[in-house]
Amino acid sequence: MMRVAVLTAALVSGAALMSLEMAGFRLVQPEFGSDIIVWGSLISVFLGGLAVGALVGGRLADRRPALWKLGAIFVAGGAVALAIPLYADAVLDWMFPGEGAPLPSDWDQAATDDGGLVVYLPPDLRWPTLGAGLLLFLVPSVLLGMVTPYAAKLLIHTMPHLGRGVGNVSGVSTVGAILGTLGTAFYLVAWMGTRWLLVSNGLVLVGLGVLLGVLDVAVRSRGARE
Amino acid sequence: MSRWRVGAWVSVAAVVVAAAVWGRAQSGADEGVVRYDRESRYYRIRVVDYPDRGRRCLFFSRSRGIQSSMVLADPSRLDLRYSQAMVAALAMGEAPKDVLLVGLGGASIPKFLQKEFPDLRLDIVELDPAVVQVCQDYFEFHGSPNVRVIVMDGRMYLKRVEKTYDVILLDAYAADHVPFHLTTLEFVNLVKSRLKPGGIVASNLWERSFNRFYLAELKTYQAAFPQVYLLPAGQSGNIIVFGTLSQTPVTRKDWVLRAEEMVRGKDFGFDVAGLIGKEYEYLTTREISEAALTDDMAPVNTLRREHPKYFEAETGPPGGAP
Repeated sequence: MMRVAVLTAALVSGAALMSLEMAGFRLVQPEFGSDIIVWGSLISVFLGGLAVGALVGGRLADRRPALWKLGAIFVAGGAVALAIPLYADAVLDWMFPGEGAPLPSDWDQAATDDGGLVVYLPPDLRWPTLGAGLLLFLVPSVLLGMVTPYAAKLLIHTMPHLGRGVGNVSGVSTVGAILGTLGTAFYLVAWMGTRWLLVSNGLVLVGLGVLLGVLDVAVRSRGARE
Repeated sequence: MSRWRVGAWVSVAAVVVAAAVWGRAQSGADEGVVRYDRESRYYRIRVVDYPDRGRRCLFFSRSRGIQSSMVLADPSRLDLRYSQAMVAALAMGEAPKDVLLVGLGGASIPKFLQKEFPDLRLDIVELDPAVVQVCQDYFEFHGSPNVRVIVMDGRMYLKRVEKTYDVILLDAYAADHVPFHLTTLEFVNLVKSRLKPGGIVASNLWERSFNRFYLAELKTYQAAFPQVYLLPAGQSGNIIVFGTLSQTPVTRKDWVLRAEEMVRGKDFGFDVAGLIGKEYEYLTTREISEAALTDDMAPVNTLRREHPKYFEAETGPPGGAP
């Protein structure tokens, strides 16, 4: 039972992480375009979140791990995902102000030698996109990144094979990531649109978190009775 | 099976696949003379000469769609019919002074405007700096006092610029599709907000086949503009959709007359009035059973895969087609 719950949690965390990432691309593209800089920035934010999450999650897992605590991580991650649509526009505007921003005449101008064609070079998008990515997606990806080490700890507690336990959690979570990526890219973006996608991810995460908590209570009370 | 044998089979399979892919790539190559073939930050840009036809063409990535075609003997001529149809926008209202073009392509429209309308102030927004360079090096595009190029995403530019235009021409293609953020109602409304009173937008739509995306995009323009028109551009499959801020419909006759007036004393090299007279369609009152595209909900790739369930019956505006 514990095993199924923990592996499900790993699967869902992987799927939700990538689903949020795909939603992130759709959220940011209208403001920043579909430049490779945008893709690079967002992917780095999610990978950075996973790294920090793994470090923090691993340390937390060593202090009295419990299924309900894993549930709490899910609830927190889901809550942040639910909140993203509320502040996304404000963050995007802040990172790259719209009307009233400098006119092309204030930008770098490179008059090329060939016939004096006047060419204005674009503003630097790297730091604004990275900034927007960090503000929007760092916290949820840190929280979801905590799941893998935490889940491994919960599983390995019940299993003698360390390598197999870590492998299972990591493999299942990566399969979840593939499902989340393909599902979102192929179907969900078209079915529900970007904002509902963020909200549904949030609801699934919160729902699963609550379920893990309930399960933990049920297991404990049964343990107490026996 | 031993391990090395598996390895050997995998290698053989890899070689076969690679050879097949290479063979396909070779057979797909055009018969023209490749003048330029380089990866830019966004595309693989190819410039191909067709000496038999006296043309030089621009291609992006693997798309077979021609981005631009230049008559080598007359580089300022508008060679592709879709570009001729876009220019019809200049004849819809008062003679325009400020024009914005989003998407440089092979600079055929800018060169045409520089030659035929030298007083017109033209801003061009192009995402890829390499395209700007290729236009200068291979497509005879040179500077003139009223023309400037801004290297930037079209939507980002429109959001930031406070200037307004008489005519905005939208021709931004990522190889064979318009990027989704340049298809939505939010974007079209942004374009609308950068038009002067009475301003006009013309947007080039090209798809491999008639699909639901076409209709959704037409619906989006219908939702944003009080008056909407179409000029299908012949065999290529391009459709140009026009939106105007003016509430008064432009009839086929009005538009043709204004085009004849615009052409007077000029040699366009094509019959813009005839094109309008032949292709004119009034879209404002046409029933379209698709939802307009929005930033939140723009399933462009899904819509592209699906054919419309039926074509809407052509319903003219009340009181007969203008």
